[in-house]
Amino acid sequence: MRTTMVRFGGLLAAASIVLSACGSAASTPAPTPAATTAATAPTDSASTAAVPTNAEPVELTYWYWAESDAPGADKWMADSVAAYQKDHPNVTIKVVPQATDTLQSAFQTAAASKSGPDIASQWATGPVLGFVWSDAISPISDLVPADEIKHWLNTSENTYQGKLWAMPMYLLGIGMAYNKELFVKAGVTPPTGDRWTWDEFLAASAKLKAAGITPFVGGDKNGYLGAWWFANLGGQQLDSEADLVKAVVGEASFTDPKYSGWYTELEKLVKAGYINNDVMSLDLDQGVRQFYQGKGAMAFTSDGMLASAIKELGADKVGVMRPPKWGTGTLADAGNATQSISFFVTKWSQHQQAAADFLQYLHTPERLTEWYKATGVVAADDRFDSTLVTVPQLQQMAKFETTGQQTWLENWIPSQLDGDGDLPAGQLIFSGSGTAADAGQLWERVAGTWRAAHPDELANWQGLLK
Amino acid sequence: MSSTAIVSTTSASARRRRPDLTPYLLVAPAVALIVLIYGYPIVRIFIDSFLSPTKTGAKTVGVANYGFAVNDPVFWKSAGNNVFLLAGVPLMTVLALLFAVVLFDQIRGWRVYRTLVFTPYIMAVPVIGATFVYLYGFNGIVNTLLRDIGLGGVAQDWLGNPTLVMPSILSVVIYRELGFGVMLFLARMASIRLELYEAAEIDGAGWWARLRYVTIPQLRSVIGFFVVIELITMLSWVFAYVYSMTGGGPGFASSVLELYIWKNAFAYRAIGIASAVAVLLLVATSVLIVVQLLVRGGESETGEE
Repeated sequence: MRTTMVRFGGLLAAASIVLSACGSAASTPAPTPAATTAATAPTDSASTAAVPTNAEPVELTYWYWAESDAPGADKWMADSVAAYQKDHPNVTIKVVPQATDTLQSAFQTAAASKSGPDIASQWATGPVLGFVWSDAISPISDLVPADEIKHWLNTSENTYQGKLWAMPMYLLGIGMAYNKELFVKAGVTPPTGDRWTWDEFLAASAKLKAAGITPFVGGDKNGYLGAWWFANLGGQQLDSEADLVKAVVGEASFTDPKYSGWYTELEKLVKAGYINNDVMSLDLDQGVRQFYQGKGAMAFTSDGMLASAIKELGADKVGVMRPPKWGTGTLADAGNATQSISFFVTKWSQHQQAAADFLQYLHTPERLTEWYKATGVVAADDRFDSTLVTVPQLQQMAKFETTGQQTWLENWIPSQLDGDGDLPAGQLIFSGSGTAADAGQLWERVAGTWRAAHPDELANWQGLLK
Repeated sequence: MSSTAIVSTTSASARRRRPDLTPYLLVAPAVALIVLIYGYPIVRIFIDSFLSPTKTGAKTVGVANYGFAVNDPVFWKSAGNNVFLLAGVPLMTVLALLFAVVLFDQIRGWRVYRTLVFTPYIMAVPVIGATFVYLYGFNGIVNTLLRDIGLGGVAQDWLGNPTLVMPSILSVVIYRELGFGVMLFLARMASIRLELYEAAEIDGAGWWARLRYVTIPQLRSVIGFFVVIELITMLSWVFAYVYSMTGGGPGFASSVLELYIWKNAFAYRAIGIASAVAVLLLVATSVLIVVQLLVRGGESETGEE
């Protein structure tokens, strides 16, 4: 029995140690940032000029995440660091790749202790602003000249109180890939414009189903297919991101059909059998892989996924369109491209200007070209040489991503609402265990829980509406 | 009484009043280390359960974190799933006992079977989880086999169906933990005195009677140990199974308290709520242990093994 107690104690202690490590950090009053270097005036081209070898040594630590979005990104970063260090022998940059699951929690711990990397990565808007509000980020617009920043795309995602807080690197959008051969087999004609209406999409799905073809394939075991449907349909009755924030802060309700009515449409798709029957057994990317294998006529796709589909199925068999238009709000016409991850300089870094100079270097035309060659993902910079994109379908995607208003709704909700509302709500629908009304109520309940548990964060989010 | 005797008595009395501190001093560093490693985190969590982090530090919120937890349906769903897993312990214990008894009889190929039964226990849980994701998928190996033998109607989305997901996860936990029980029982059975079996045989006891009246009573303490360990496992050691197979989904159908704590602590910046639930989990587990200790204590007093 003593052995039992020892093991029991060990189990508890192990769990306790993990939690207390985090808890202590979170509950310890924030120390004054040690020796924080005041933001010096942004300098032009500081990043590209070689410096003398006797300059003061600078060591930068970079918590980096991009590979999951853009395979090839890690190698590109390693090459970029090597090239930069060659031109700046006094600078040493240590790149620490970050895991998707712990990207936020790891930096949260760093932010609580006001120590850690000089440069870090977070997803745009909500996650970045969360760390702005916890005083962990220095505005990059204080460190990089305005005539450099003007070239960066989608900066509105991280602009707050007149300052830009993080740098975009690339753009990801979601298109809808289709299999031309299966369309022909079912007698379905692709849209004449760049997208179908919702009714046209349903009609095409019915024809495909009648021909024995699964109209739409995907995977929602990890909840992200639901999140992608939310990104594409969820905002189509809204006029702006502020409409969504109103429901987040409690000025509107997620049970209002304006916010959750689209789940009724998703429910129709599932009940009609327009989605693969193993959708709940597959993660998002596994589901999309079914499209590559010709097992479904349509699937959501990112640029990288589209490139893979073309490689697997053949360029002549793959087409791409924008997701269908269902709603009547202003955002129904917006694109869904986002910078996804954003890079920023931490508040406690002792080399803020040097860190910003390196980030600026990543946007030099030569680095942007290398980025595309390494990843096949469009860079978030108007200096990006679009002639590098030679595949017509990818050119079309790039056009979707850079034309007109772009918004990625998931960026405009707190992570708790995303994890406990957005993702599970889609699973309710795809697994057939809940209705559209249940999904709306789930969102509303989780939003209420978040508001009650995080009054400080609530105040910050309310500030977005002012 | 002479003065010498008085002095002698006084110094002896003083010696009695002043215990020798040397042993305590010798163990003090080890005790301090244990308190630091085991005690501090528990105390820290208890304190954190009454705090809420803010931009400028932490503020005391009383029992509000406990209130958030107990008013959250996801907490209760998670706790209910842990209770469901607890209910699997008797089944696992019986299965482990059966396997051990059969292997103890040294049936043909018993060494191979023993290895097969124990192998899952030494494999990492995420590996087992990932394997069963493929086995239990709607178009996975299990359903493919069912369809191939004409039982397609039985094929289900074992991990994607909210009703089936917890029994499916339980089956995987049992698959892995069974080997631990079998090895424990086999080890104890190997040390049971043969005279007991011989005496039973002389009395005409058959296989079942020997099992009922010799083997199981002799295994009682080991069975008790196994049950306690598995109860703790089902309450606070199943995170890796759930995380690797379902992430708590679909919806919250397979969420467990550990996942609930993890999400609040690491994803939602709600360390206070996470700490409060950790304290509740600690209390629940402690209650189980105390009950088990009381039962075992009662058994010892009655002279049972």
